[in-house]
Amino acid sequence: MTIQFEPTHWLPSSTVAALSACAIALSAPVMAQEAYPSTDETLDWTIAFGPGGGNDIMARTIIDILTKYDLYPGDVSAENRAGGSGAVGWGYLYGQDGDPYGISTTSGSFVTTPLQADTPWQPEDFTPVALLATDDLVLVVNGDSEIQNIDEFIAMAKAEPMNIGGTGTVNVDFIVPTLFAEKAGFEFDYVSFNSMADQTTALLSGALDAMVGNPGEILGLIDAGELRPLVFSGQSTPDALGDTPTMGDVGFDIGVSMPRGLILPPNVPEAAQEWWIGTMQKVVDTPEWAEYIASNTLTPTVIYGEDFRTFLGQTKTNFESVLKSVGAIE
Amino acid sequence: MDIFSDLIMGLSIAITPINLVYLLLGAAIGMIVGVIPGFGPSAGLAILLPMTFGMDPIGAIMLLAAIYYGAMYGGTITSILLNTPGESATVASTFDGFPLAKNGRAGPALVMQAVASFVGGTVGVILITLLAPMFAQVSRSFGPPEYFLLALMGMLTLIVMIGENWRLGIISALIGFALGTVGVDLETGQGRYTFGSAELIGGIYFIPIAIGLFGLGELFYAFYQGLHRFGTGGIVNYENEDRFWPTRMDWISTRMTMARNSVLGFVVGVIPGAGATIASLMAYSTERSLSKTPENFGKGEMAGLVAPETANNAASSGAMIPLLTLGIPGSASTAVLLAAFLLWGLRPGPLFMEQNPELAWGLIASMYLGNMALLTISIFAIPLFVQIIKVPYRILGPTVIVVCALGTFSVNASFIELYIMFAAGIVGFFMRLYGFSAAALVLALVLGPLAEEALRQTLTISRGSFMIFVERPASVWIILVTLMLVVMLPLLNRIGKKAQMVKKLDAG
Repeated sequence: MTIQFEPTHWLPSSTVAALSACAIALSAPVMAQEAYPSTDETLDWTIAFGPGGGNDIMARTIIDILTKYDLYPGDVSAENRAGGSGAVGWGYLYGQDGDPYGISTTSGSFVTTPLQADTPWQPEDFTPVALLATDDLVLVVNGDSEIQNIDEFIAMAKAEPMNIGGTGTVNVDFIVPTLFAEKAGFEFDYVSFNSMADQTTALLSGALDAMVGNPGEILGLIDAGELRPLVFSGQSTPDALGDTPTMGDVGFDIGVSMPRGLILPPNVPEAAQEWWIGTMQKVVDTPEWAEYIASNTLTPTVIYGEDFRTFLGQTKTNFESVLKSVGAIE
Repeated sequence: MDIFSDLIMGLSIAITPINLVYLLLGAAIGMIVGVIPGFGPSAGLAILLPMTFGMDPIGAIMLLAAIYYGAMYGGTITSILLNTPGESATVASTFDGFPLAKNGRAGPALVMQAVASFVGGTVGVILITLLAPMFAQVSRSFGPPEYFLLALMGMLTLIVMIGENWRLGIISALIGFALGTVGVDLETGQGRYTFGSAELIGGIYFIPIAIGLFGLGELFYAFYQGLHRFGTGGIVNYENEDRFWPTRMDWISTRMTMARNSVLGFVVGVIPGAGATIASLMAYSTERSLSKTPENFGKGEMAGLVAPETANNAASSGAMIPLLTLGIPGSASTAVLLAAFLLWGLRPGPLFMEQNPELAWGLIASMYLGNMALLTISIFAIPLFVQIIKVPYRILGPTVIVVCALGTFSVNASFIELYIMFAAGIVGFFMRLYGFSAAALVLALVLGPLAEEALRQTLTISRGSFMIFVERPASVWIILVTLMLVVMLPLLNRIGKKAQMVKKLDAG
């Protein structure tokens, strides 16, 4: 039995942030003259959320893979700069303009937080490295429900509008069923919850007709037959969901998902961007990465560089238009 | 019996030396995490989670769970000694805990809270062991209509909290409700009073407000009274070592309180999302309504401390039920435990206990041992903690302010939360000065958003019809219990008082 004991993992994030802020202040003037990446520079990895969350786990998985396969020559220091739904951490990265030794991982809030708050940055401002995976949603009904599959669901919903639960409104949970319903031609009432736990309880209690959510947290309930998966929003269904069709399979592909990717600060030299694209191509080929994708039921969707910037822009536009049409944002 | 063979199997796993070390380590960390104001179990768990990656899951879950329920023991210590809740579930413990310390009974108060915590925690684990499948049914019968009714029931307890000056009490509660409206509107997604700030998207958190209003407010008030000019002590008196142990009266008068609130706390804990904070507040007000001497509550009544303490520990056990039987986390802390299960590649859900009997029963067995360990640690640590109040006030006061600030800041690294805490401190001082009810404000801040969100969800689901509240069996039950509390309790009180008067007349 081994116990991993890394100081940066258990120190309060603020302490680490404060300590590392000093270190950065001292080392900043020394800019890389030689080839990127220089072993003299410590890679300053910003995690825009607290320890234990989805973003944190992804960042630490990538760092573990980089270390294990010796893909990054220098030291890597990972800091949780949490706060304001990612605004603090990505704001910090935005401030590292042009510095190729700043890096961060993205998640859904990377697109939604700028829509909700006055952040100085937009998702397209950063130097994109790669989209590595997407968080997609599964539509489920209670295991007792008479609805057996998505066709029956659509038919029932057309006859009488149903309610669908999800987490938050400025969120993919609201966008996905809205776009799907538009394409499939049914109407529904969206019921917004604070957390996956709240909406799952509501569905089990029989109050909700259906809900959308990340499959990872509810696989246990699906296995036990308490919840019945109907349709999956990603490009391919994870193995754990069996033969559940994708929205594309049933003819109503919506093309929206939450991007999990890697970004550098704005205006980073192209050489650094190219180096990271090359490195990430190796990372996604490792068995560790495959295991991460499987255990978190993510959809492996990999695109690199400027295509990722385009993807971010499209996702943002999609979100904006749906949210504006319902009046959630101005 | 099947259950006992499972439990003995669990015990045999929990009792291996290395697992015992993890358990004790977790209990000790939990105490410390609980003692630091603002820094609650969920933050402590999240930070320690990465440390457990390389560990054996059984040892790791025992460690993490011990931190979680250990925090309930530690959190009360500062509630009693400094009027500063260590975490949100111990806010209610300040109501009578601090007056007890002020009256020179800090020692007995600390001992009683440790015992109450132990009773609550242990009764909770016994109920998990025997009746987990039954309570799983309770967990899954709660939807938005039930949460709304539960919040309404909680608001009835506001009437108890409002205090003697009802006008000021109502104003306090309204301020709490108003603060509860800040944040992104759950239904429409529009920001309410967020002023474009990303840090206010999630609303105003409860704990900086509670620390400010209770802890800092009390400190500022003590400075206002000039206590820093006195040598030692000041806010609370504690001289006599022989008054360390509770009196016989303390034990006898709180027996039933412990029994009642163990069950109440557990049941509230079983409901996902309600949790230890609501359980402790409900326990306090229920106990006060049932008491023969409600006028002593808030002035140092032992039952007023024992009730919330028993309930919050029982609730933290109860919250294990939805986690273990459905894979649904009932609170921020159990959400971290769920994340841990997922990280280890386990699949929480209805089949979890069947598929992972060693882990589930090892955890349950460890909770018996953990509570015993925590009781022992608490009793030995009390004389140490009591030293805190012997520190001269001019040193203690500023130290507490720094610790509160660090604790609050370390959770989300948010400066806005620090400002909120200090602002609440100043408001708390004036509330104290003019007789407003900080308890009512805090309760309104907890219940307001819960009630609003649940009502709007309910009405979206029912398409605007209020009939949904009488169509669901669980809702009907809650309505009946509430009515019983509203009608029966005052009636019983009146009959009780009449009987006493008759007795007095007879005697006279």
